[in-house]
Formats: sequence, structure tokens, C-alpha cells
Amino acid sequence: MRPDAVIGPLSTSTLFVRIASIVVLGSLLLWRSVATCADWGLDATTGLTWNDNLTNAFEAGDRKPDTAVTASVAAGIHQQLSTSTGLGLSLVVDGTRYFRYEGLDNLGVGARAQLRTKFGLGPEAPWAAFAARALHRDYHDDLRDGWDYNASISVGKQLSDRWSVRGSLGYDAYVADRVSPGGVPGLSTAAYDIDGWTLGAQAAFRMTEADLLSGTLSWRDGSVTAVTHPDLEVLEYSDAAVIDGTFSDSIRTIAYRVAAATRTASLTWSHALGRSTSVNLNYTYRSSRTDQGSGTYVSNIVSVILGYSY
Amino acid sequence: MRAILGMPMVFTTLLAAAAAAPAATLVAKVIGKDGKAIQNAVVVVVPDAGIPHRAGPPAIELVDQVDKEFTPYVKPIRVGSLVAFPNKDNVQHHVYSFSPAKSFELPLYKGTPAQPLRFDKPGVVRLGCNIHDWMIGYIYVSETPWFGKTDKAGRAQIDKLPVGRNHVRVWHPWMIGPEEATVRIVDLAEAQPVSLQWQIELKPELGSRRAPMPGDAGYR
Repeated sequence: MRPDAVIGPLSTSTLFVRIASIVVLGSLLLWRSVATCADWGLDATTGLTWNDNLTNAFEAGDRKPDTAVTASVAAGIHQQLSTSTGLGLSLVVDGTRYFRYEGLDNLGVGARAQLRTKFGLGPEAPWAAFAARALHRDYHDDLRDGWDYNASISVGKQLSDRWSVRGSLGYDAYVADRVSPGGVPGLSTAAYDIDGWTLGAQAAFRMTEADLLSGTLSWRDGSVTAVTHPDLEVLEYSDAAVIDGTFSDSIRTIAYRVAAATRTASLTWSHALGRSTSVNLNYTYRSSRTDQGSGTYVSNIVSVILGYSY
Repeated sequence: MRAILGMPMVFTTLLAAAAAAPAATLVAKVIGKDGKAIQNAVVVVVPDAGIPHRAGPPAIELVDQVDKEFTPYVKPIRVGSLVAFPNKDNVQHHVYSFSPAKSFELPLYKGTPAQPLRFDKPGVVRLGCNIHDWMIGYIYVSETPWFGKTDKAGRAQIDKLPVGRNHVRVWHPWMIGPEEATVRIVDLAEAQPVSLQWQIELKPELGSRRAPMPGDAGYR
């Protein structure tokens, strides 16, 4: 049990996701022994991501932009359980290295599971999927180390040879390994522990044989972490705060947790370079408005990702 | 066509006549609107003299599944032929077709299904795999034994054709417009190969894309 652990609304759902993750990992180990006829596969990505507001700040002076090199590898198996349902289990490793704020550099290691079923024959049959993922993230800034959980259900349908749509409901939680002692009496220091529910919708349009354009809108209700210069005002609307040294060159800044509604809109152009490779350009606009109306955190994120699947 | 199939005696006579008759050759070339060669176009020759009845048991044709793709992508066969669908991948496939010419389903399997399927109606059969949605293939079921498929150069040579007047047409899975619109009437003679060229317009085949999209944990 870590010191100063947060007990509250976060705990129940986090416990659920932790249990689910253990089940997933256990299933992965069990499945390994019976997966002789499973399809082995590998998904890998690498690319560059630029974010103009890594700190999630609403004051211009607090906004810290940076570019990161990202990479991920997911290797696993896919097994058809029936004519309509398939199970995918993967081990996942991903990493991010920032050009400037090295405290955010992190390596994630974990597992992912997906159960997907189709309701009928053919590519235009509707489908539903349940996916769960658990990664342990090891940050350069040790205070941020923790478990990154995500679970979602999705439904989708290819409407025609060009259009497809999908919707999803997901839950995510981040639980830091350790929490700084001390701080302000009555205020948790678990500023990196966040969770939330996300409702999303996506439409994709096949422009050519190689090109796919997709747009996604999502709405997330949950907590977010922001970083700002020392400011007693944040203590009024935050339920957790901690000294954070990631972004400060000379003065110390504080990371704080606040409840917010986050709206995200993203547009992705994906160009196939062959059967198994694609280059993907994405722009994401993210806006988090705090429940107390204390501010709106806006981020613009641009990424170029090379994807490979075997 | 149905009237002809109902007259086996006539076919037998025709077959005997065809065996003894001189044979002609047709060299077909299919290009697109941009002038580039089109591969996988099927060229079908229908003689005015009639179509012979198949002699002997039908051959077993193959449509493989290799690297999660149908191979060949387009397979022309004669009506009445048997087709086996060997799965040469080490994963299961689930082959199906909704096409009126042959609607079938081969649920999850590895290796080769025990019984090949008979394709007894002329027409186009579009194949799919319910596990790998990007897998698409075509079987063209021809009413005549005289057909060919264009190679990378857009060329197909069909030999041993009956001499005389023939209707020749072209089909491609991405072709815009009906294949009937491509019909040409040609008189074939022995030892005088005839060359014909078609220019057809194609639309791209879209549907499910195999290449990955980051963040999409879909199976491929």
C-alpha cells in the first residue's frame, strides 16, 4: 500500500480495471499454451508528435510545447473462437522521448486484449468489440511512474465501400506508483492519479484504394492533470496537488488534478504504402473545461506516424 | 443457352465436329482509358456454331488462400467445374459468397475442405473471407470452354477456337458498365490469328483496407 493513497470515487473503478488487467494477463499466459493454431501478429508504429500544451495550462505563460518521438510494438495472437467471434491478446511496449522535457520520457510495458464479434457475414456486417489494456509506465520523472489502464466497448459498421462508422464508450485510469508525502493538509498529493469516461464517435471515408480519411469526436468526463506555476488559487478547485519539476528550468511548478469535461476532435489521413504499412497524419484539438469553471485547457496536437502490421 | 444445354445429342455432334475442325487463335489485349495494360480481365469467346457438351468428368480448379489473400485474384472456369479452396495459411479462413451465380459458405477451416464446390451457373462469383474482410476474389463462371485471362501486359491468347463467326466479350471485376457492352463479333480462320483490343474503364475496388491505421486495434 503506497503512502497517502487516494481513497474515494477513483478507487472502485480503478480496482475493477486492475482486476480486469490481471485477468487479461492471466489469460495471455494461459492462452500461450493452447494457441497452436492462433494467428501470430505484430503491430508497430513510430513517429513524431507535437503538442502545444503539454502542461494542460490555460495561461499562456504556463503552456509548454514540445515534440516527441514515439514508438510502439504490440505482438500477440488472434484466435477465432467461433465463426463470428475472435479474441486478440497482445503484449505491448511503447515509448515516448521528448526533445526538451525529458521528465516526460516514458516507457510503457503491458498487455492488451480484444474480443470482437461480427453480427453476420461480410465486411458490411455490424460488429462489436470489448478491449482492455494495462501498461505500466516508467517515466524519467519517477513521480509520474504508474499504471495506465483503459477499457472500452465499441460498435461499428461499414456502411458502403467508402463509408464506415463506429462508436465507443471507454474508461481510462492512471494510477501513480507513489505519492509524495506532505503537501497541503487536507489535500492529496496524488495529482497524477486520474480517471474518466469517454464517449466517442468516428466516421471514416475511403478516398482511394490507399487513402483513408477519418474524423473522430469524443467527450470525456473525468479528472485531468495540469501543471502551473505556484498558485494558491488552484488549491480552491483542485483535489490533489504536488510539486512538479518536469517543466521548470529555474522555478518549481505544481501539478494539480481537477475534474473536467474534455472535448476532442481529430482528423486523420492514412495512406497505405502497401499491404502492411501506412503513413498517418493526424491533427487533434483537445479542450478541457474544468467543472468549477476555473478555466479551459486547450491543446493542439499534430502527429506523423508510420504504422506497420504483420 | 438453356435451349442448347437441353440438346445433348446436338452437343455430341458438335463436339465431334469441333475435334475434327480446324482451330483458330485469338489474341486479346485489354487496356484502360489511360492506355495502360489491364491485368485479370477475362476474355470469353462464344461461337455461333454452338457450345460443345463437356466430355468426361469436370476438372477440379483451385482458388488458394495464401498470405491472407485469394490466389488467383480472378479465376475463370467453365460452368460445371468443381473448385477447391485450399487454405495454405496457418490460420483459419471463412470463405463465403453472396453472388447469385453461387452462394455458399465454408465456415472456419484450415487445410483443404473435403469436398470441392460445383459451380453450375454462368456468372460472376465474388469471394470473401469473414475473418479477413480485405480478402476479395472472383470466380468467373464461363458458359464456354474458350476463355482466357489477361496477364500483366493486358494480353490473353486463346487457342483452339472454332473457325467461323464468334462473339467475344470482356469482363473485369472493376469494370464500369456491363460486359455485354464489350461484345465484338469476329470471324476466325485457321492459321490466321486475330488480334483484338478493348479499352475499358475501371473504378477502384474499395471496401476494407488491409494496411494498418494506428490506434485501430482491428484484426488484420
